[in-house]
Amino acid sequence: MSVMYGDATVGALREEQAGLKSRLQELQRRWRELRALPYDQVPFQAPAVPLVFRGHTQQGQEAPKWLVSKVRIGYPLSGGSALVTFDDPKGESSERGPGGEAGRLPGTDHAPPTPGRPPPVAQRVLQQKEHEIHIEECRLRVQVRALELPMVTTIQVSTQVSRHSVLVSGFPAGLRLGEEELLDKLEIFFGKTRNGGGDVESRELLRGGVVLGFTKDAVAQYLCRVGQFTVPLGKCKCPVRVSPYLSGEIQKAEIAFRPVPQSVLVLNIPDVLDGPELQDILEIHFQKPSRGGGEVEALRVVPPGQRGLAVFTATSG
Amino acid sequence: MAADEDNKKVLKEPWSDEGFMKDEQRERLIDEIAKENIQLKEEIQRLEAELQEATINSQIKENIPETKVKFTSLENPENDSQFLNISCSFQVSSQVPYELQKGQALITFEKEEVAQNIIRMGKHYVKIKDVDVEVLAKPVPLNSGVRFQVHEEYSTVKINVTDIPDGLPEDQMRDKLELSFSKSINGGGEVRCVQYDKQSRSAVITFVETGVADKILKKKDYPLYINQNCYRVTVSPYTETHLKNFQVFSGISERTVLLTGMEDLQMMDEELLQDLVNIHFQRKANGGGEVEVVKCSLGQPYITYFEEERNGMV
Repeated sequence: MSVMYGDATVGALREEQAGLKSRLQELQRRWRELRALPYDQVPFQAPAVPLVFRGHTQQGQEAPKWLVSKVRIGYPLSGGSALVTFDDPKGESSERGPGGEAGRLPGTDHAPPTPGRPPPVAQRVLQQKEHEIHIEECRLRVQVRALELPMVTTIQVSTQVSRHSVLVSGFPAGLRLGEEELLDKLEIFFGKTRNGGGDVESRELLRGGVVLGFTKDAVAQYLCRVGQFTVPLGKCKCPVRVSPYLSGEIQKAEIAFRPVPQSVLVLNIPDVLDGPELQDILEIHFQKPSRGGGEVEALRVVPPGQRGLAVFTATSG
Repeated sequence: MAADEDNKKVLKEPWSDEGFMKDEQRERLIDEIAKENIQLKEEIQRLEAELQEATINSQIKENIPETKVKFTSLENPENDSQFLNISCSFQVSSQVPYELQKGQALITFEKEEVAQNIIRMGKHYVKIKDVDVEVLAKPVPLNSGVRFQVHEEYSTVKINVTDIPDGLPEDQMRDKLELSFSKSINGGGEVRCVQYDKQSRSAVITFVETGVADKILKKKDYPLYINQNCYRVTVSPYTETHLKNFQVFSGISERTVLLTGMEDLQMMDEELLQDLVNIHFQRKANGGGEVEVVKCSLGQPYITYFEEERNGMV
């Protein structure tokens, strides 16, 4: 009995050891990968992106580490609403409203006017939550609300060497291929097993390279080991480089509502007038200083029953 | 003593009894493997800890500088998703700085060929106050950076519900959630669907009308009624954030050239020197061409920033 028991113990221990060893190997492999991770210390050469000095300098103080560009916000407007944007010649409304707090809802309140300075037009308009618009005999009752947009304030991105994606780079400078054409040609070449490729799952064009994702991890690993390929791209056979792709994943994104101080939302517009007529009536109303209004830069109406998407972009850059 | 005797006997004649020997061997083997396993476990623990730390270090955690936005146009929503979400997209890219040291200058040419030619020529003699100053032209050594696009959607009809109490079968809980969130007296409205995940005690509620979610989210919690009991569940906005075009890149400067060798000109005015450098390098006879910008440093170093070229896709 004791012999049997002993053998069983040895077996179990050996099994445990095999498990531990493979776990250790896995960890060591990940460790080797991870060590290369900080994006500014990539072990393989990242695709080159041409940069230029245009005279932007700074002395002494530290500039922001990141640049934000191409900001675009789409804000849906339901039928029976309008968006009024007031002229802001003195840049009065460039001062910040309360904002800041994550998860705050639009229209809960707005910035109190700064003492000693007349409040921006939009804020004067917002002092009354309901506006009565007089058209001949009748009155049109509408609600006004401050406009606040959800914007990302903090972002956390983790980076890791992708298991199933590779970066193809090194295309010749004078390549005359459209985005779709280039992606197709690369998928055709790297989709073939005789080229060492396999089924392509995803493709993405970056500046200076293309990311191809494969259904099988082994394909990506093999292509990276080979590194160099000659791919027919249009008229020429071009040498391209295949290297590991460092991918990013959002771990956390914090969102806060930021006020758009020049704009005001007009809601619950009754369905009594046609679009163009309604537009004029609203514009006249919101230009009246007696109603807290002022110079209207833009007024867009979404007539009842329709829907619209108000697009906002960065004021500079 | 008797026990000692016994031990000695065993040690002296380990191979006398096959069965016994096997037992002892086995004991030793078990001991050995067990020890090895303990070592392996320790190694694994150490690596796991290091890996965790490394993962945290490899994260980019940044505050996004606030951008002022302005209304630009009114479009027609292309699809329901555009109408049911406030969308926000932007690109984030790391600044690529170069510290311009005393006696160095950066010069950007309009054409890449000119810049490359200036670098190929290497040495240049720039006439400054009747003296030919030897200036060396080199490519600017730039760091690598990272850039990516963020696409965020903030639903106008969906909300997240968390801290849902346990204790009801999945189907029943789904009904209770729908009933509670339909109650207009509490700010609710007609529910289109409920996605309930019992394990994470959370749900996503989709309303038929826009505006209901907005109203509910004015408070942090919402009453959930289950058989005469009222629980407070936590409500939060439903958002989806995607990362696109994540790219690590190494900066190369094709049109900007680094000039060195002007350390001895410290008494000069930077602007004057810039003009002289500009004049020298815009002359075809000197191998130059149209100059876009020149920046010299004669005193404190400058941090200079490189921007992306506007054209060029791949």
